[in-house]
Amino acid sequence: MELSTSEPTTARFDALYRETASDVFAYALTLLRDRAAAEDVTAAAFERAYRRQRSFDARRGTQRAWLFGIARNAALDELRRRRRSAALLADPEDPAADVRATGDDHDDAALRRAAVRAGLAQLEPRDRELIALKFHAGLSNAEIAKVLGVSDSNAGTRVHRAVTRLRKACHAPS
Amino acid sequence: MRRRNALPGPEADRGLREIEAALAHDPTADPDLAMLVADLDAVRPEPDANFLASLDARVHAGFPTERGTPRRPRGARAAPAPARVRRQQRLALGLSAALAAGVAVVVIATSSGGGDSASLSSRPSTVLAPSDDSASSASSASTSAGRPAVGAGAAAPSQRPAVETSTSSSSKAATTPRVPLPTPLGPSAPRKVQRDASLTLTPAIADVQNTADGVVRETQAAAGYVQRSQVATQDDGGTASFTLRIPSARLDDALARLSKLAHVGALTQASTDITATTASAADRLKDARDERQALLRALGRATTDRQIASLKARLADNRSQIAARQGALDAVRRRADLATVDVTVQGTDRPSSGGGGGGAWTPRDALHDAGRVLEVAGGVALIALAVLAPPAVLAALAWLGARGVRRRRRETALDRTA
Repeated sequence: MELSTSEPTTARFDALYRETASDVFAYALTLLRDRAAAEDVTAAAFERAYRRQRSFDARRGTQRAWLFGIARNAALDELRRRRRSAALLADPEDPAADVRATGDDHDDAALRRAAVRAGLAQLEPRDRELIALKFHAGLSNAEIAKVLGVSDSNAGTRVHRAVTRLRKACHAPS
Repeated sequence: MRRRNALPGPEADRGLREIEAALAHDPTADPDLAMLVADLDAVRPEPDANFLASLDARVHAGFPTERGTPRRPRGARAAPAPARVRRQQRLALGLSAALAAGVAVVVIATSSGGGDSASLSSRPSTVLAPSDDSASSASSASTSAGRPAVGAGAAAPSQRPAVETSTSSSSKAATTPRVPLPTPLGPSAPRKVQRDASLTLTPAIADVQNTADGVVRETQAAAGYVQRSQVATQDDGGTASFTLRIPSARLDDALARLSKLAHVGALTQASTDITATTASAADRLKDARDERQALLRALGRATTDRQIASLKARLADNRSQIAARQGALDAVRRRADLATVDVTVQGTDRPSSGGGGGGAWTPRDALHDAGRVLEVAGGVALIALAVLAPPAVLAALAWLGARGVRRRRRETALDRTA
């Protein structure tokens, strides 16, 4: 993703934005399963982060962990809003994934990815969130621990369990 | 915070290592897991280009608000953290200085308004004591500052008011107050003035005996004598009292010397014009003597035994009368010649020197005042803390509670999504 670096914000925030914009979106969409809501949450997360730049404390974790903590709160707020309005949306198709799948010559790979998407959809939201943080956003276990507010070892255990459940879900007959 | 510091189990630990190996594309990684990682990467949602462009524009614009709230100018960087900290420190420093200045002003105002008994009472205050001349009370009422009213004195030359001057809690280095003496009306009429003084010395407890010895020594040096003395010393203190008779002409010098022996707790001086009393006694003595002369002359002219016996009896009475009146006149003259000084020595815990209410403002005084200011400032801070602490604690608890509730609601929202 190429973003202009023309001096809009602080250099550090600009670098963080360029580095993590797609990761935050992927995490939000995996958690919310709603593209429009994911876009809103992504935008809200960066706006909050922009306004709270001064609250970042490097001693308490990395910038990525700080940003994903903000994004998680925004996503959970969105979930609460949805629950109040009783407008739970269906899991949409990922057009980009479809494009990639159609472009793939191997049917096995397409099938596997379809199975992975199905497995992800079957996971509990907490497990899906862990998968998104670990594999879509690329956070370390320590960063995940900061985002979730748990210990490092607990975060690692949760990630391991989520992956185990995903593998089972992927191999389960659809 | 749901933090548990327990290490992951062996299975989870092994599984985590395999996950990390698959993420690192390690050839030794579990093939199934590596494939899952690759598939997860492939199905990773990507943002729409239009959305990214829109977000990119908002980010670069600094997320402008719709209400047109003034934002930081484009390209303007946030103030560096150290600069912000310095600004906050300067602000806190300024507020602290202002608070300290306010406290100091309050303390100074309180001190000067409340009155320092030592500094105030160190000024000699002059009051009029009743004179033994009954008529002088009228002139006393119109006299101020220890100075008799001239008009009243001119009307009745023999009537002089008595004057009393007192000084309290002055240091031993303080100047002994002078007693304004009744003003003689003319060189031909020397005044007879009775002077009395009362002096309280407050040395350190250990110095009571030395001070008492000094009182006797200074009395003798002033050609006076100790009429009465009582000294009682104990381990935890002591007192001494003296009644001294000192020549009036040397009273001021003697008082100055006595005042140097120890801290002066109080000093009272009184002057009473006894010119009329002295004159009256002298007149009565003269009358008695004149009567004797007359009786003697009458005795010389007496012709009968009865007259002679009667005159001799009257002469005998007259002798007694003369003796009594001579004694009275001598007593009055002694009252004028010898001043009576009552000295009380009272041991105290107070340091024997310095720290008094009089004299110059010394570094010791400054240290004492600074300590007092700090005491008051500490008291004010303590009161402020007592006032502010409860609402601050309540606010902190409310904030923590609200934060916990918000966090719980968010987590609940995640659980109910399933």
